[in-house]
Amino acid sequence: MKLAVEVAGIRLKNPLLAASGTFGYGVEYEGLLDLSELGGIVSKGLYLEPRDGAPTPRIAETPTGLLNAIGLQGIGIHAFVKDVLPRLRQHDTALLVNVCGDTVEEYAEVSRICDGAPGIAGLEINISCPNVKQGGMAFGGDPRMTHAVVAAVRGVTRLPVIPKLSPNVGDITVFARAAEEAGADALSCINTLLGLAIDVETRRPRLGFGTGGLSGPAIRPIAVRMAWQAARAVKIPVIGIGGIASAEDALEFLVAGCRAVQIGTANFVEPKVYEQVLSGLRAYLERHGKSDIAEVVGTLEYPGEAGESETGATP
Amino acid sequence: MPANRTSSLVGREGLGGPYFLLTFLHTETAREARPGQFVMIKAGASAEPPLRRPFSILEASPERETFTLFVKAIGPGSRALVSLPQGGVAQCLGPLGRPFTSPTGDSEALLVGGGYGVAPFSFLGAELARQGSRARLFYGGRTAAELPLLARLRQQGLEVVPATEDGSLGSAGRVTVPLEAHLDTAAGPHRLYACGPEAMMHAVARIAAARGLAAQVSLDPWMGCGVGTCLGCVVRIQGSGDGRWKYRCACTEGPVFDAARVVWPGEGESHARRAPGGRL
Repeated sequence: MKLAVEVAGIRLKNPLLAASGTFGYGVEYEGLLDLSELGGIVSKGLYLEPRDGAPTPRIAETPTGLLNAIGLQGIGIHAFVKDVLPRLRQHDTALLVNVCGDTVEEYAEVSRICDGAPGIAGLEINISCPNVKQGGMAFGGDPRMTHAVVAAVRGVTRLPVIPKLSPNVGDITVFARAAEEAGADALSCINTLLGLAIDVETRRPRLGFGTGGLSGPAIRPIAVRMAWQAARAVKIPVIGIGGIASAEDALEFLVAGCRAVQIGTANFVEPKVYEQVLSGLRAYLERHGKSDIAEVVGTLEYPGEAGESETGATP
Repeated sequence: MPANRTSSLVGREGLGGPYFLLTFLHTETAREARPGQFVMIKAGASAEPPLRRPFSILEASPERETFTLFVKAIGPGSRALVSLPQGGVAQCLGPLGRPFTSPTGDSEALLVGGGYGVAPFSFLGAELARQGSRARLFYGGRTAAELPLLARLRQQGLEVVPATEDGSLGSAGRVTVPLEAHLDTAAGPHRLYACGPEAMMHAVARIAAARGLAAQVSLDPWMGCGVGTCLGCVVRIQGSGDGRWKYRCACTEGPVFDAARVVWPGEGESHARRAPGGRL
């Protein structure tokens, strides 16, 4: 049974990656699971320099969801390459760096450093974090800026470039096409949805930053819809993200047209989630008489479209 | 090394009102836990509420391979835990965090527990007794009903001084009143340990600073993962070098911190998990 997939030239032993911001730098989970069981790991977002992040409280639980404003606290790309990467490389899994910047130049500089660091398989370009005042969503909320960032990164690296798109836009296909035109090799869809939770006793936001990004099962139908829209709009592969906690959840994204998926918030709830999802994917393939996970990708039968059986049966 | 595994409930004792003692089978936590450490635990595998909850370990029994939690059921996570039937399954990751460090020499350990924040002090009290250290617990709450562990703590041989804000048990007023009275009269040296509402821990930190005493506090922010990846539970901790504070993960670099290093909330930022919303 083949679970291995290839996305943007990156070979993944299975279609499951750990999503940025939910898996630290990977090494934190060394004692709790076998990292070589994962298709890949996307690092916590990294700027050139270390960042303090957002004020506390930083997380709030909402119905089947998690609202966060961490604000991209991180160690910076230099410390990652020097201190974390050598240890992380000992695991047989694809390592992607989530690249952040306040400016187009900073995105390019972080990417250039990654390009020269052995062991990095690809770059996920974070143009969609809702919890920082500069950069982040500012680049992901304007298709010209999306194009500019992706083109700048493209110009300094041969590594696969994978912009992570924001759901906080009217039409994600505009951004998907802008990224593709600028030379992206794949897309990650989606980042968190901008939300606000209020403590009515104090009449203040429950997060120190004010608004936050919503993740977890609460956002899954929105994520599936946007990943599906993006996958139909471009030729490059799409990596689906948003509320995946089970094999069935992952399969929704695969059927919708995603080549691979990322698991995020579920890492906090159950670090063994990869084991559970992988065994569920195998069981699904067996039940459907398929031998390769790629046979599932993009098989959605959408009402009113060619290939949809009821339409075909109508005389 | 913390272990993540399913853990079945083997003991459940109601202490009146929302308070329960829950005992779980978990070999690694039972064997390796130190006073001040915690577990991340969630009843069953349902999607709601999403996150595990951090709970201080009340006691651990390597022989029985169990640990016990003191749980106040006040939100969806804690209510689901206390509703588990005997043999019911929880997902448990532990033991986690940095423990309290024990006093050296002949100093007297003064433990200050407020409300359910008293949880780690049964374990710490037992450890201090085993080491032959002098120890005394100041146990505060709003009312007598908020001190459900009093009899049990005394039973284990701990010297307990209760205090209630309404005067229904022990000394009337804040728990820091009998603490300061003791510091004024009893022979030192003293060392302070505090866990409870943020304002109480801050008050203990101020008392320690004014008297030049060492104090450790166990902070209780919301936690996402328990292993330092989500960066959701950070607290502001003063560095030793340039005097500038940094965000430190309460889960991996705490929850126990040197009280003198904690930047206590002034303007808006809170380390506390109880408010806002009070959902646990």
